[in-house]
Amino acid sequence: MPILQIRQAIRDAMKEEMERDERVFLMGEEVGYYNGAYKCSEGLLDQFGAKRVIDTPITETGFAGIGIGAAMCGLRPIIEFMTFNFSAVAFDQILNNAAKLRHMTHGQFGVPMVFRGPNGAAHMLGSTHSQAFEHFYAHIPGLKVVAVATPYDAKGLLKTAIRDENPVLFLESELMYSVKGEVPEEEYLIPFGQADIKRPGDAVTVITWGQGVPVALKAADLAAAEDISCEVIDLRSLRPMDEAAIIKSVKKTNRAVIVYHGWPNGGVGGDIIARIQELAFDDLDAPVLRVCYEDLPMPYAENLENLILPSPERALEAVRRVAYKR
Amino acid sequence: MATVVTLPRLSDTMEEGVIAKWRIKVGDKVKRGQVIADIETDKATMEFESFDAGTVLKLVAPEGEALPVGATIAVFGQPGENPDAVDGGAKPKPADKPATDKPATDKPATDKPADEASESDADEEADEKPAKASAKPVAPKPQPESVAEVKHAEAVNEASAAGGDSPAPKATSQGTGPEGQADRGRIPASPLARRLAREHDLELGQIQGSGPHGRIVKADVEQAIAKGPTRAAAATGTSAHVPSASQPAGSPAADVDEHGRPYISRPDRSVKLSQMRKAIAKRMGQAKREIPHIYLTMPIVMDRAVALRAEFNLSVDGTKASLNDLVILAAARALRKHPRVNAHFTDNGIVERGDVHVGVAVALDDGLIVPPVRFADQKTLKQVSIDVRDLGTRAKEKTLKPEEMTGSTFTVSNLGMFGIEEFCAIVNPGEAAILAVGAVQDEAVVEDGKIVARKRMRVTLCSDHRVFDGAESAKYLQTLRKLLESPLSLLT
Repeated sequence: MPILQIRQAIRDAMKEEMERDERVFLMGEEVGYYNGAYKCSEGLLDQFGAKRVIDTPITETGFAGIGIGAAMCGLRPIIEFMTFNFSAVAFDQILNNAAKLRHMTHGQFGVPMVFRGPNGAAHMLGSTHSQAFEHFYAHIPGLKVVAVATPYDAKGLLKTAIRDENPVLFLESELMYSVKGEVPEEEYLIPFGQADIKRPGDAVTVITWGQGVPVALKAADLAAAEDISCEVIDLRSLRPMDEAAIIKSVKKTNRAVIVYHGWPNGGVGGDIIARIQELAFDDLDAPVLRVCYEDLPMPYAENLENLILPSPERALEAVRRVAYKR
Repeated sequence: MATVVTLPRLSDTMEEGVIAKWRIKVGDKVKRGQVIADIETDKATMEFESFDAGTVLKLVAPEGEALPVGATIAVFGQPGENPDAVDGGAKPKPADKPATDKPATDKPATDKPADEASESDADEEADEKPAKASAKPVAPKPQPESVAEVKHAEAVNEASAAGGDSPAPKATSQGTGPEGQADRGRIPASPLARRLAREHDLELGQIQGSGPHGRIVKADVEQAIAKGPTRAAAATGTSAHVPSASQPAGSPAADVDEHGRPYISRPDRSVKLSQMRKAIAKRMGQAKREIPHIYLTMPIVMDRAVALRAEFNLSVDGTKASLNDLVILAAARALRKHPRVNAHFTDNGIVERGDVHVGVAVALDDGLIVPPVRFADQKTLKQVSIDVRDLGTRAKEKTLKPEEMTGSTFTVSNLGMFGIEEFCAIVNPGEAAILAVGAVQDEAVVEDGKIVARKRMRVTLCSDHRVFDGAESAKYLQTLRKLLESPLSLLT
């Protein structure tokens, strides 16, 4: 099986879907002549031409809105945000148009499109460029939210996202574009709402997604050295969410830790805890803990940033606590 | 709007206090600054002047019960107002807790209500009912856990503390027997532990919790399941065993007199710890755990000092200096010459104290306090004598102010009046040494090959070996001996 980077898996998914369906097109800042700020669209301009690979000015509200309009008219746009931090400018388009038009037009118009780009903190990008947006978007009915951590998941889920009849927020990670992994040559799709057990275990369920996955896996390694067996569940899609997989694992381990990028207040982490306590209350042997950002704007200074980001060490500490080890 | 009056922190070391006496009653109008209660702290009984004004709606704290700083003691408001309206929120506030006291985040604030809701189902445990019922009258014994919960409700950032924090204190009452249950109130247990206990017909009250705050977790229930049936058998077994075992052992013979009549056995008496005993227990325990003590004893011939004191008291009006006053003064002067003895140990180094404040241990009915003679090295014998008398008198009356009871840099403890020849004392944490002073006694002493009668006193310098060594201690004692054996210099 070929080994690809996540950026190549994303490129291949877009390429294959653009070859398969001529309604699919890519639009965003630097996606064309520059081949993508993170080289996720390498070669697409050459292959598909400037009509289907469109460089835009720095106008997120504008090109998000154009994408929504195009989708309403029957096309299948992929809108790339250079980072999801810039999607804040287009938030009204996403919240009030992309998410609601099918509902408001009683199904006369659908919005089949993908917003994709890197999400969350990377490295020393300061407070306004280090935010995790799944917590905003997963809140909104009418949207689907996906976050990927491996090339295999990236390709399979992006193809599903492009073919979906509704707007999908597809969250990548700047620091993980060069993560490598096996990707089958033959075509495959990964349905939404299916979590993936990235590491089986039976003592503590560690629930994570996107950039949290490598942190959780490292923490699971550290915990294994202390004889605590962690089951790491990569949710992959946050809306819809694979509740069944979470509950099945928690009923087995009786304890859970959630590792993610984003703040503690509100957000997906708290939502998962709500589901666990509702559906597995009598199976819990310890309070569910979250390992995420500190409740602060991200500092620019590297040493301070390291304190705020979820780390394997902090995740390990939480694992120990729910396992009542020390 | 009703105002909650909380137990104030009246000294730096005060963690709890007792309302010794209320000076107000329900219905009284209270002005700001009015004395509303006498509060017994770890050091003294002090008058509590109200920070608030209003009509007394309710006196929450009973006299004589120890409460943590910040606990609600009374409610003021407008006449006719409902004092209970604020009661709910008036649980001990964590405001006075140090900031380092992180919330115990493994206890989500929502834990309780959710738990309770589910337990109100038909399958509610039989053991829950009496526990709940008794929880009301026993009511708000402010335990660390509830404080943690209040704090937690505010501290939303659960994950941040997951990074590592203090081990929460174990549950206060760990009584495992059925009789212990009433005290435990709602028994902390994980939902899974509750379910397992229910399924195996075990009473939570019978299970010892190993989790934070004594929470019963899965492992505890599994352990109880494993030894479940044996426990009941063991219980009856031992009770039957005790008398039979005592017979053949032969020891009971000692419990009867020569006529075979049993000696009278009297029950043990438990004595509640006073605030002062608690403070002493804490500080002395800390000292013995942390300070490596070294003890050096020096005999000092006191004939001249005794003579000097007698003459001094005859010739100086209004004073009655004691030998101990002379020792205090000499000890203070000697400290000037040996600054290392007037010091204390910190992790960052040794701090030699610039001022000499000699603490004088004063025995009270139930404990002792050590008020300092401030700047003792610079005082005259007369002034030292006046100070010591004043501090001693007021210490016994418990009327010393907090600042008059703290700040000593060295301590003198004298048990000579009880005929103690010499003894070892415990260094007061925050100081480097304490001088233990024995009795002045007539002794046969060999001087120049002849046996002569001398008045001799033994003093023992008990010191923190981390701060200085035996040689320094010996040199200090030599200086002290010189001062007391040639005491005229103390009058300069």
